Amino acid sequence: MATEAKLSHTAAMILQAVEAGFVYGFSIMEMTGLPSGTVYPAMRRLERDELIRSQWERQSIADAEQRPPRKYYKLTPAGRNTLEASRKRYPLLERLIPTEEARHA
Amino acid sequence: MKPSFEQGLGFFHLSLLRGASLLVPGRQRAEWRREWDSELWHVRHSCTPIGGISWQAEREVTAFCLGAFQDAICLRRHSDPAERSIAAQQGSALHCMLVLGAVLAASYSMTLLLPGVRAEHFLSRYRSDPGLVMIQNPSIQGAGPSISSAQFRSWAGRRQKYFDGLAFYRIAPEIVSIGSQFQTGWEVAGASSNLFALLGTPVRYEAPDDGTPGDLPAVILSENLWKTQFGSNPSVAGIVVSVGTRKARIAGVAPAGSWRLPGRVDAWLLAPDSQLAPEGVGYVVAHLTAQGRAEMWTSRVPITAYKADDSEDDLLGVALDRDVPSPWIVFLFASMLALLVLPAITSVSLGETSVSSHRTSWPRRICRWGFLVVKIAVLVPIDYFVSVDLAYWNVAFAPSSSVYIQLIASFSICLFGLRWVLKDQRQRCPVCLRRVEHPAQVGQASRTFLDFNGTELMCMGGHTLLHVPGLPTSWFSTQRWLYLDTSWGFLFAGPGAGIKMK
Repeated sequence: MATEAKLSHTAAMILQAVEAGFVYGFSIMEMTGLPSGTVYPAMRRLERDELIRSQWERQSIADAEQRPPRKYYKLTPAGRNTLEASRKRYPLLERLIPTEEARHA
Repeated sequence: MKPSFEQGLGFFHLSLLRGASLLVPGRQRAEWRREWDSELWHVRHSCTPIGGISWQAEREVTAFCLGAFQDAICLRRHSDPAERSIAAQQGSALHCMLVLGAVLAASYSMTLLLPGVRAEHFLSRYRSDPGLVMIQNPSIQGAGPSISSAQFRSWAGRRQKYFDGLAFYRIAPEIVSIGSQFQTGWEVAGASSNLFALLGTPVRYEAPDDGTPGDLPAVILSENLWKTQFGSNPSVAGIVVSVGTRKARIAGVAPAGSWRLPGRVDAWLLAPDSQLAPEGVGYVVAHLTAQGRAEMWTSRVPITAYKADDSEDDLLGVALDRDVPSPWIVFLFASMLALLVLPAITSVSLGETSVSSHRTSWPRRICRWGFLVVKIAVLVPIDYFVSVDLAYWNVAFAPSSSVYIQLIASFSICLFGLRWVLKDQRQRCPVCLRRVEHPAQVGQASRTFLDFNGTELMCMGGHTLLHVPGLPTSWFSTQRWLYLDTSWGFLFAGPGAGIKMK
């Protein structure tokens, strides 16, 4: 047990939101209803534990839309596996934050 | 919204982010600031209406910016190895004991530092003497002075059946000269020379007895006066002062809070009974003989005194501090009351039930019970010291008021302290004694009778899950522990994750 991730439901919800296409901090806040003081620290820890990875948007895209560039997050393979395990523990997760495929289905 | 006002709010929000960024470690600050600045732009763009005013939106943006402080603190904590190890200790049994130990040390330090509390401990001998009475004239309202010094001298000169010691004091303002220049006004109690011996009140910084009888009356200073006018000089004894027209020699200092008799006094001028001022009325304190104590069946008894012309005088003897119990007795009484009330406000069960057949080993059980016993053992002195600190921090409190304050404080601390001890114990993993964290709502309230619903907490060491029922039922009434073994690993992480989330 010592080497395994123990994912809280808050962290699981954020992972699920990223998986569902809410890929930057503010959109995750809006989707989950969690405050910024919870979402951003949780994302730092998820990134530190290599469950998510961040990448800055290209400047040219942001310039074209006349806004500052955003930092986007995406799941790593380890994050995807952890999320899969967390869904078994929190069955309502997918119903709370359905993925794009589930929304279209 | 006016542009300047909008700019001002924008500046305010940016300032919040700049302030929070100072908490972020230097090497991560630029990246951190860039992300939050970008997010702030999008939050403002999304929340605030264009060209309009919305306080709701501004509140949301401000709340967003305040979250940056939590993020910055979190980042700092996890980048600093020392702070990371401190954070890892949070919720552990060691952390709990350190916090309790710090509270105990703080409360005990206050007990040592507060003059009133020190005096209370110092004077326990004085308080335990039940043989002291104040003799009053019942026709005088309240506890005001009512006995003349002439009347006192006539009693003191006679053989007494019920008293083996009498002392008189009268409080009056006096002009006091210290040295040749400095003059000041004190409230001076002109008192019998045996007053302090009769009361059993200790005197500090007494001059060593060199065997030569002093020709000057003795002055005992109050601790407050000694500090303010003599700069806490430990060699104060022996200094000659002029009290009114009389010369007197300082003989020592009475500890703060030691004076529990009526009247505020700065200094006591102790003189033989024959030298007491003849004018005015004062107070008389008497010490009862064994026969006198036997007659003192209540706290107030009538006394018949005989004047010089053998006429009778009806007086009243009022026991001093007879009804004031010691802090230890008050503490024991309050603790007993709290123990009786405890089952009414919380469950005394420790939630040892397990949903599996798993049984913890004896050493772990002993550790768990030992931890509970140690917590209670530390709580007891905390309760005593804090309640005494609250009751006696102010020397101006009357003894009876202090008793009530201590009773309430001790009862409350003991009751809510024990409630916390039990609640804390119920939420500690039986394996590692860490507090379980991350409560998650499980099940559905509408299915209570088909399945359980409630809150589930997890041990961050990965040892246990704790199920607390939302609605106690006959088949699921108390919390239950679920011991996790390696077969539960799939619930937490995928293979090769090799990480530990918090």
